[in-house]
Amino acid sequence: MNWFVATFGSSIGKKLLMAVTGLCFIGFLTGHLAGNLTIYAGGDAFNSYAEHLHALEPFLTVVEIALLSLAIIHIVTGLWLFWQNLKARPNRYAVNKWAGGRTIGSATMPYTGVLILAFVIFHLLNFSFVDKTNTTIWQIVSTAFANPLYVLLYIAAIVVVAFHVRHGLWSLFQTLGANHPKYMPFIFKASIVVSLIFGIGFGLLPLYVSLFA
Amino acid sequence: MKLDAKIPGGPIAEKWDRHRFELKLVNPANKRKFNIIVVGTGLAGGSAAASLAELGYYVKSFCIQDTPRRAHSIAAQGGINAAKNYANDGDSIWRLFYDTVKGGDFRAREANVYRLAQISNNIIDQCVAQGVPFARDYGGLLANRSFGGAQVSRTFYARGQTGQQLLLGAYSALNRQIAEGRVEMFPRREMLDLVIVDGKARGIVARNLITGESERHVADAVVLCTGGYGNVYFLSTNAMACNVTATHRAYKRGAYFGNPCFTQIHPTCIPVHGDTQSKLTLMSESLRNDGRVWVPKQKGDTRAPSQIPEDERDYYLERKYPSFGNLVPRDVASRNAKDQCDAGKGVGETGLAVYLDFADAIKRDGQDVIEQKYGNLFQMYEKITAQNPYETPMMIYPAVHYTMGGLWVDYNLMSTIDGLFVLGEANFSDHGANRLGASALMQGLADGYFVLPYTIGGYLTGTDLQPVSTSHAAFEASEQLITAQVDKLLSIQGKRTVDDFHRTLGLIMWDYCGMSRNDEGLNKARQKIQELRGEFWENVLVPGQGSDFNQSLERAGRVADFLEFAELMIIDALERRESCGGHFNEAFQTQENEALRDDDNCSYVSAWEYQGIDAEPVLHKEPLEFENVKLAQRSYK
Amino acid sequence: MTKNINLTLKVWRQKNSSAAGNFERLEAKDISTDMSFLEMLDIINEKLTLEGKEPIAFDHDCREGICGQCGSVINGRPHGPEKGTTLCQLHMRHFADGDELVIEPFRARAFKVVKDLAVDRSPLDQLIQAGGYISANTGAAPDANALPISKETAEMAFDAAACIGCGACIAACPNASAMLFIGAKVSHLNLLPQGKSEADKRTLGMVRKMDTLGFGNCTNERECEAECPKEISITNIARLNRGFIKASLFSSEK
Ligand SMILES: Cc1cc2nc3c(=O)[nH]c(=O)nc-3n(C[C@H](O)[C@H](O)[C@H](O)COP(=O)(O)OP(=O)(O)OC[C@H]3O[C@@H](n4cnc5c(N)ncnc54)[C@H](O)[C@@H]3O)c2cc1C
Ligand code: SF4
Ligand code: FES
Repeated sequence: MNWFVATFGSSIGKKLLMAVTGLCFIGFLTGHLAGNLTIYAGGDAFNSYAEHLHALEPFLTVVEIALLSLAIIHIVTGLWLFWQNLKARPNRYAVNKWAGGRTIGSATMPYTGVLILAFVIFHLLNFSFVDKTNTTIWQIVSTAFANPLYVLLYIAAIVVVAFHVRHGLWSLFQTLGANHPKYMPFIFKASIVVSLIFGIGFGLLPLYVSLFA
Repeated sequence: MKLDAKIPGGPIAEKWDRHRFELKLVNPANKRKFNIIVVGTGLAGGSAAASLAELGYYVKSFCIQDTPRRAHSIAAQGGINAAKNYANDGDSIWRLFYDTVKGGDFRAREANVYRLAQISNNIIDQCVAQGVPFARDYGGLLANRSFGGAQVSRTFYARGQTGQQLLLGAYSALNRQIAEGRVEMFPRREMLDLVIVDGKARGIVARNLITGESERHVADAVVLCTGGYGNVYFLSTNAMACNVTATHRAYKRGAYFGNPCFTQIHPTCIPVHGDTQSKLTLMSESLRNDGRVWVPKQKGDTRAPSQIPEDERDYYLERKYPSFGNLVPRDVASRNAKDQCDAGKGVGETGLAVYLDFADAIKRDGQDVIEQKYGNLFQMYEKITAQNPYETPMMIYPAVHYTMGGLWVDYNLMSTIDGLFVLGEANFSDHGANRLGASALMQGLADGYFVLPYTIGGYLTGTDLQPVSTSHAAFEASEQLITAQVDKLLSIQGKRTVDDFHRTLGLIMWDYCGMSRNDEGLNKARQKIQELRGEFWENVLVPGQGSDFNQSLERAGRVADFLEFAELMIIDALERRESCGGHFNEAFQTQENEALRDDDNCSYVSAWEYQGIDAEPVLHKEPLEFENVKLAQRSYK
Repeated sequence: MTKNINLTLKVWRQKNSSAAGNFERLEAKDISTDMSFLEMLDIINEKLTLEGKEPIAFDHDCREGICGQCGSVINGRPHGPEKGTTLCQLHMRHFADGDELVIEPFRARAFKVVKDLAVDRSPLDQLIQAGGYISANTGAAPDANALPISKETAEMAFDAAACIGCGACIAACPNASAMLFIGAKVSHLNLLPQGKSEADKRTLGMVRKMDTLGFGNCTNERECEAECPKEISITNIARLNRGFIKASLFSSEK
């Protein structure tokens, strides 16, 4: 097992962990978004989607445990990297300037990451870990988004996610070694497009619910 | 002492093989008992240290820079010669040998040059095996170009960065040995003295440039690969740290100095732009393959180049040398540029420049082709001068570039001090009075990879080497000398900075011991140098302390040595009663103002023996015999 | 067009690696725009010397942009504001009269300040020692043309080999990571057929060494590529990553 520790304990290994878990989350977000789109079809459709999803037990629990493990890996590794990177330059520059490589997304990854974590906990507390015996998910959601504060908070959180994805997506290809002059420009643009899709797709939902439900 | 070059007998083509067979071998088990000091990590030093360590010797390697990879060899642009004849254009070992001897104006030792040509092919093989990315053709085989006026394509190149790539090869080999513990690396060290015990070189004293401490190192042999002394002129294409200190101090310890006045002035450099300039930049010689050199026909013509019509331009190289044209050897091209400027036809703000024009080449081949060939050079030119050479002709002027002179060595590369070997530009050996393009890289690597590893073994087995410790009186004395000098430099606290002295010395050398020389000027220069040296030791201002990273103090030591060494160059220039290659004495010229050699009386290497700072050095002559090449007046008409 | 400008400099002064440093304000008067940045520092140093003060220590050697010895951070930009240019090749015509320049050393845990603007970049040598070579003893090489290398491969290897080891990538990286430096070396050697037999060993060796020397981790910020004076591409980092996956998971290399 020595090689295993040596591999995933190394700087590139840790980045690989970030990349692979990140890729899973992008997959998850894609599925999540697809499911949530049923909201546009009205409360019933959304409820039935939720029911179908829950019919998948125990598979769902497995997925949840997997997501949780991935999250732990992503978060712990991310913090570890952040800590090491902070230590790598004990004396900071008096003047900091970007030369055109960094983006807002890349520069804020650790911070957007922490915000997303907070948001996910909040989101789970709101919509997942609630007693649903007497109510449907649609009711919970529409009640929540009746409050404009909730809407704002969710939209803000989604913007943060979008920035995280915008850097995370192309970056994971780079980390996995898939950078080629022929298709990297495409991947780079695709990560902007995907982050926009996530941003708009998820971001409009609370608005839609609050305005039309 | 009689100079013995130890040239092996037999036909020239067999000398090296025979010699290698005759050299005694060191028992492999004994090799690790021998300590060898290699000073310098350029092509010569890097390759030598790595190869010696591979053989099993224990090596200590020193350099001034913060890492061995930055030695001045890194800056070489054009390429490296080899007699591979891959181009099938009639090249051979013999032709490379012949061209090099002729290019050197018949002042090099035949046997050495022949060996160099033989080894040239192994160098290319070795470098490719190390991963040096030489230019290749579409078929994947190595590409060649013609360079420096050679009429065959024998130059291997790596874009405009051949020196860099070759040095990184040697540096990587060196690092492999460091990792294996066979080489101990001492960067940011400056060798300040050679230590001799029982008549043999047995160590050095070096200054740790960060802490200022003196460090003593014992060895069984010392190898100097410390490069050339072009910076005696202050302005040159050499890197800022290039110096004569190591070789000069070895000279003061008894090693003879060979041909100190043979310096090479390169014709295509970016002209000086003001009096605050710190160094000059070379524009690769390959530019002369397509660029046409010209000046206005009329004196003091200040029109922009585009305003000067064709028939008012003088393409003087094409006019004077119809067969070689713009491709005449460096010494000839440089001297002609100077003549034009002296005649008042120079261009640019200072009048010290000539045009190198690509308009015709661009018209003929298209801008694409020119860009492909010289893109990076044009870009570099534009960066420095803010002028676009695609639109307006480049301005160039000659600059000091290389020093053919160096410590005298025999066929084994050993100096007149037993156990002191000298490699690369630091020795005098293979280029005679003028070096051909792309042959310095070849010589540095030949010396380090393929010559020294054999010859040093012969010395070590054949010599009785008693153990020596760093507390030996000779080390003690050296260190005291160094400390005294450092203290003295710091205590003067005069009014002129080190650079100020260096600049003044440079101007004297450039004016009187540069592209063309005469006895009157040389004598005047000698006196001026003596005066300047006197003033230096009374009026130099060196700030800071000795126990510190003190770059002014470093430079002060080097300039102090240049101030002594410059005089030796003058003495040598005065002594040689002929013109040859880079040494052009106006009293000796043909009717067409070409260098006029005196083969009957001057076919010798001058090797100078130190006698004290103010005493005349003693000249020893090593006669040069030419059995294989025919002495002839070089003609490029 | 040559003209003269006046500048205000704030230069980092630090006696040695253990001393604390601070900025010193200096006036640079009458600086010709034809001068290089280092020549401007030369002038300041001459002046400081004559005033009986200590000149600014800074590293440099070739002044042609090839040795990699120069480099400081000018207003937050390693090697200054010009793209693809080392500090020694940066000319003063890129600055305007009255500009204020903050000049700092390359900063990273792995690079200790030697004095003022000079830093110790020996960790880069240690990285090379960990595998940045091809093991070919002198004399053992076959004929240079025995192994053809496609022009494309040779060119790619060259693009990576052009690294001058200046360390600006590390200075520019928000994480002080050395990935561009080792990515370039691993790419140069692993791309060539001569370097393939040691490819896995080299990749693992260099990455592991990097991790012990106090460099940070790459987070794909691309600042290295943007600041590298030789414009080395981060595709070399991707190639390193690829090589690392292969060497770690699919080779027998330990
Ligand atoms: C701009 C330029 C372009 C060139 N282009 C070409 C070309 O295209 N083809 C060609 O064949 N030649 C070329 N040359 C010439 C060639 O580059 C040099 O002659 C050659 O590289 C010298 O190598 P070297 O190993 O002898 O010395 P260097 O590379 O100069 O190395 C000297 C070493 O000695 C060390 N050193 C010096 N003094 C001391 C001391 N006192 N203590 C400790 N260490 C010391 C230095 O730190 C350095 O490591 C060019 C030269 C210049 C200036
Ligand atoms: S990769 Fe670029 S910035 Fe980094 S050391 Fe090499 S040349 Fe300098
Ligand atoms: S001094 Fe050599 S790269 Fe700047």
